[in-house]
Amino acid sequence: MNSSLWTESGGRRAAHSRREFLHRAGAGFAGLAVADLLAREGAAPAAHHAPKVRRIIQLFMTGGVSQMDTYDYKPALERLHGQKLGPSEKPEGFTGMPGALMKSPFAFARHGQCGRWVSSVFPEQARLVDDMAFLMAMTSKTNVHGPGTYMMNSGQLLPGFPCLGAWVSYGLGRLTDNLPTFVVLPDARGLPYNQTGTFSAGFLPAVHQGTLIHAGATAAVPDLFARGQFKFATRAADRDGMALLAGLNRKHAQAHRADSRLDARIASYELAARMQLSAPEVFNLEGESEATRRAYGLDQKVTEDFGRRCLLARRLVERGTRFVQVWSGPQGASGNWDNHGSIPGELPPIAASVDRPIAGLLRDLKARGLMGDTLVVWTTEFGRTPFAQGSVGRDHNGGTFVTWLAGAGIKAGSTVGQSDEWGYQSAEDKTYCYDLHATLLHLMGLDHERLTMRHGGIDRRLTDVHGQVIKDVLA
Amino acid sequence: MACALAWAWQANVAAADESNATLWWSLRPLTSPALPQLDATLARQVRTPPDAFLLAKLAQIKTHKAGFAPEADRRTLLRRLSLDLTGLPPTPQEVRAFVADPAADAYEKQVERLLASPRYGERWARHWLDTIHFADTHGFEHDALRTNAWRYRDYVIGAMNRDTPWPRFIREQLAADVFFPAEPALAAALGFLGAGPYDQSTASTAPRTFDYLDRDDLVTQTLSAFASSTIHCARCHDHKFDPIPKEDYYALQAVFAGVSKGDLPFEESAALVQQRRHWQSLLAAADARNAAVLLAQEYAPVISRWETTLGSNATAWHELAVESAGSSGGATLKVEPDGAITSGGTRPEKDTYTVTGVSKLAKIGALRLEVLAAPSLPKMGPGRQDNGNLHLTEFEAHTLASGAANGTKLKMRRATADFNQEGWSITHALDGNNGTAWGIYPRVGESHVAVFELEAPVPLVEGSRLRVVLHQWHGGGHLIGRFRLSVTQATNATADPVPPQVAAALRRTPENRAPEERLALAAWALRGHALAELARLPGPAKVYAAVPGMAPKPVHVLSRGDIDKPGALAEPGALSAIRALPGRFTLSNPQSEAARRAALADWLAHAQNPLSWRSIVNRVWHFHFGSGLCDTPNDFGRMGGIPSHPELLDWLANDLREGGGALKPLHRRIVLSAAYRQSGEGSAALVAADPENRLLGRMNRPRLDAEQFRDAVLSVSGRLDTAMGGPGIAYFKTSPGQQITPKLDYTAFDWDAPGAARRSIYRVVWRGIPDPFMEALDFPDAALLQPTRPFSASALQALVLFNNDFVLRMSEHFAARVEAQVPDLPGRVAAAVGQALLRDPTAGELQALSAYARQHGLAAMCRVLFNGNEFLFVD
Repeated sequence: MNSSLWTESGGRRAAHSRREFLHRAGAGFAGLAVADLLAREGAAPAAHHAPKVRRIIQLFMTGGVSQMDTYDYKPALERLHGQKLGPSEKPEGFTGMPGALMKSPFAFARHGQCGRWVSSVFPEQARLVDDMAFLMAMTSKTNVHGPGTYMMNSGQLLPGFPCLGAWVSYGLGRLTDNLPTFVVLPDARGLPYNQTGTFSAGFLPAVHQGTLIHAGATAAVPDLFARGQFKFATRAADRDGMALLAGLNRKHAQAHRADSRLDARIASYELAARMQLSAPEVFNLEGESEATRRAYGLDQKVTEDFGRRCLLARRLVERGTRFVQVWSGPQGASGNWDNHGSIPGELPPIAASVDRPIAGLLRDLKARGLMGDTLVVWTTEFGRTPFAQGSVGRDHNGGTFVTWLAGAGIKAGSTVGQSDEWGYQSAEDKTYCYDLHATLLHLMGLDHERLTMRHGGIDRRLTDVHGQVIKDVLA
Repeated sequence: MACALAWAWQANVAAADESNATLWWSLRPLTSPALPQLDATLARQVRTPPDAFLLAKLAQIKTHKAGFAPEADRRTLLRRLSLDLTGLPPTPQEVRAFVADPAADAYEKQVERLLASPRYGERWARHWLDTIHFADTHGFEHDALRTNAWRYRDYVIGAMNRDTPWPRFIREQLAADVFFPAEPALAAALGFLGAGPYDQSTASTAPRTFDYLDRDDLVTQTLSAFASSTIHCARCHDHKFDPIPKEDYYALQAVFAGVSKGDLPFEESAALVQQRRHWQSLLAAADARNAAVLLAQEYAPVISRWETTLGSNATAWHELAVESAGSSGGATLKVEPDGAITSGGTRPEKDTYTVTGVSKLAKIGALRLEVLAAPSLPKMGPGRQDNGNLHLTEFEAHTLASGAANGTKLKMRRATADFNQEGWSITHALDGNNGTAWGIYPRVGESHVAVFELEAPVPLVEGSRLRVVLHQWHGGGHLIGRFRLSVTQATNATADPVPPQVAAALRRTPENRAPEERLALAAWALRGHALAELARLPGPAKVYAAVPGMAPKPVHVLSRGDIDKPGALAEPGALSAIRALPGRFTLSNPQSEAARRAALADWLAHAQNPLSWRSIVNRVWHFHFGSGLCDTPNDFGRMGGIPSHPELLDWLANDLREGGGALKPLHRRIVLSAAYRQSGEGSAALVAADPENRLLGRMNRPRLDAEQFRDAVLSVSGRLDTAMGGPGIAYFKTSPGQQITPKLDYTAFDWDAPGAARRSIYRVVWRGIPDPFMEALDFPDAALLQPTRPFSASALQALVLFNNDFVLRMSEHFAARVEAQVPDLPGRVAAAVGQALLRDPTAGELQALSAYARQHGLAAMCRVLFNGNEFLFVD
């Protein structure tokens, strides 16, 4: 091909990456491998460097976890409790005027070798702090749920950008043909803020978006099989139909050479048939022992939903899903971490719903040897104010919050960053979603500055123009 | 046409000529290149001018001398053309007719037929809706339905079908209110301003941030869609690659500084506007007692008609003959000789008056309460409160049979009053709410009247009495000071309380009325007439666009995009790099937000704006060929693609401009070309030399997009409903969510329900909860501007196409259709193949498909046909 036919000198049109080239192949042309079109991974040829992590489970606490009532112990608040020292005007994104400083209603104690302070709402996770690395000065650019949730997922305040899971799928492809690469397990009570926009592939091919799976539903993977009302769509008709279709499609492809999209579609039905065989097994928890089910809290109503989804997450990563998101809490005024009304009233129940399942997940991954290449990330969209809202609630606060990491490639027991005396703003070694995302991609063998897609005139990255790998939490 | 910009661009052009060569390609003025010279063999292949440019470039490939691929067969051509222009496949009958048509212009006739079809607008509107990220809901956290967004969708379909010239299309969408005030229905075009997402949560809790971000989205949408410019890259700093200083970006923010998304009411026709205006001005004249208008000859019949019909009712009130009147609060109620009742003595905080009396009427249709001014009352009354006011909390009336102590409470239909204090309407006297009441402040010192209509007339049996109860629970001595009760037989539900002056006039013969009485009567009669006429007019339509009448907010040039670091105030403008056009707008009224939008529309629609013309031509080319001449249709900057054929792009842009900007002639240039009519198969040498097919030595092969697939399945199944327009069809069930956003269940839709078979463009697109079926076929995320649709293939896509309820139900309908047409199985299989693939099955196919259908049923076989690549791809 003579590219000078249309390349003007002075153009900044850099050679697109192979990934990006594939995406632009909408009109169809020759020479692409079918595997590329199907975003399949061979031996991770797309990784920039050797990965430490092959799969990630992200636990996302919807609503904004109160850091000073969980992991960020602030003795100063006990001293200053009741004093009105905060801003005198309503800051952008606060839902009301900040009240007086408010101490945590919960008891704090030190745990583990590392001596981490943990409040009484997380008794189970407290026992595992030596396995975790803490980012104590995470910061958000917003105090509003929707943009905050976008930011922690896609690095942008606005909709339409690919989230971390989509970038991982785009960057690394699949580990298995049998299951979706990026699975989202929402709270049984509803979707998080921004609905499915939060798991969007944005401008990346749709194949990279999160597959939404309702863990309790009868048909977990949508359209895995025809519904019962369609009597003609028996399993035999499926099997014979797919064979017939393959024959017709192959004949068609022979008459239309040099178009690998036709072959990709043929292959997609073969993969679909394999998913039909393997997916139902993943969602059947019958084979799990009583002890395992108990460890995840499946035996108690308060922990059952989140516990089931943590267990599913383990089963999925075990079988080759690369990225699983488990959400705690739906959007809305209750049943999540958005505790405006009452920290003592609203935080303990939601904390209890995740505490045992998370501990169960970490122990189970360890016991099964999966921690060798699996990473667990616990996060939320922002923190809460040290000032009271109403009498005993707390408002949104992007100023500082906590994230922890556990598993492969992580320096267990380490800490990066510190919030100020009140826990209002990050004070030292502030980190943003950009740094977290850069670190996660780094662990997966990807350089966040090189994982790009050109869109609307910009080589877009998950980390925008920011991001530093947080070396101090790496093993 | 009005031009909101006043400038002398001629001078700019002269200054610009010298340095055009150093400008980036897209910013250079449009040229009108001559057609390239071709050797005789290639020249014979030219059908329309674009062919000459394409062949000239193809000729540069050393290994390929044949020019275009041979023309595709007629079946292939018609399927391609039909799906491209209308989004629907042709019917087998249409293919047969075309194949058999001996006319020299057989193909041209098909082009004209399809361009004239209303299906054309439905197809090409969808491209535009993608481009500007239109959806029916807000997106973000509170993803609420915009019930009036569909008006814009219908506008775009209509504009495409009308072949609205492009400059006019720009002006309609940005400022129809300014440019086309005589065509009020064009307000629907302003839905462009409200097409994108809306972050309700940030708007309420972080309004400053919201303003900048929401405007950012609109700036990005407008400049990307019309000018293929990536202006948004200059939000934090001057554009890194293109000559866009960040001041340009904030100048564009200033253009939209008065735009705030919301419902915009508009009239659906100019006649309606005229009528509404007429009656409103009559109403104003009545309120102003404008004698010149009210006593004009044209209204005399209206007034005299009112007097003889409605007005006569006013005289039909009969005073209640009061037998007893009591106060629960301890006031003294005294019945005067004229039938009025005066409240005196103690003034309780609250009170309830109970009045019992008789009437000679055989039945009653309404009761009247007159509250009367009197010198004895504070401020002349009619209330006992110090300020002359009163508060009637609830009004009740009962009929009592002869001798009975308890009566039957009468049901009221509505209450009207001659005057209502703001927030204290007479309707409160019937609302059953003890916290609300009727009041008359500040119109104290004069009498007022309230009329309570019964739900149905009630007969008054001989000897029975009426009891009226006036609850006055507001407190503070807001009690009625003097009043009179009357009843009427009138059943006229529109009976209005007539002011005393008018009533007095009615008691006199016309010649005995004083001039001010005559005027008062005319005003009263015409006021009622105007209100009745206004009530008869259909209410204004609404489109989700921008809330009208907002003043522009100040926009500052922000340092690094930080709202806490505002710099200079931004003036409305656009790109300063188009040298023929001013970068900042000179407006006669800079504080008019509409004038700012109009100025931008003029800037974009200007004949000398090279970006706009190149942008639309490139988009149209993209949708015909699957790839634009510049393959980044939203980015003509240095980060975007370089046009494969810059001269052709300019030739087409110039051609469009010279022709006035209508798109249908451009479609003809393209679809009548030899390039478009080629087969999709290229020689091995050509494929090797041009694997991306940028040079178009063969036709591209698009896959059906989500809408084309769904509409084609409906069409082939015989189910397609071609009804046009109207509110969107929701292909899901909703249930309440945790907050504003509902839960959507796409699996609960019945594919035989009304509206199920409408074209896909009419479905409700929920921005944050997209339809998984459409998504599987690469329907894009409506949070984003989507100038192109990507291609994907995945196991999940295969599962959706194979197992989704829609495909399975349509497979059943498709099977039933051919079963009704043909008696035998092989015949049915052949008919199904003919319908779906527009050809006869081969012997092998017939055998395999029949065997499968015999074993698993015809519907199962139809499902296989819908999943086949031959159905999904367009040769």
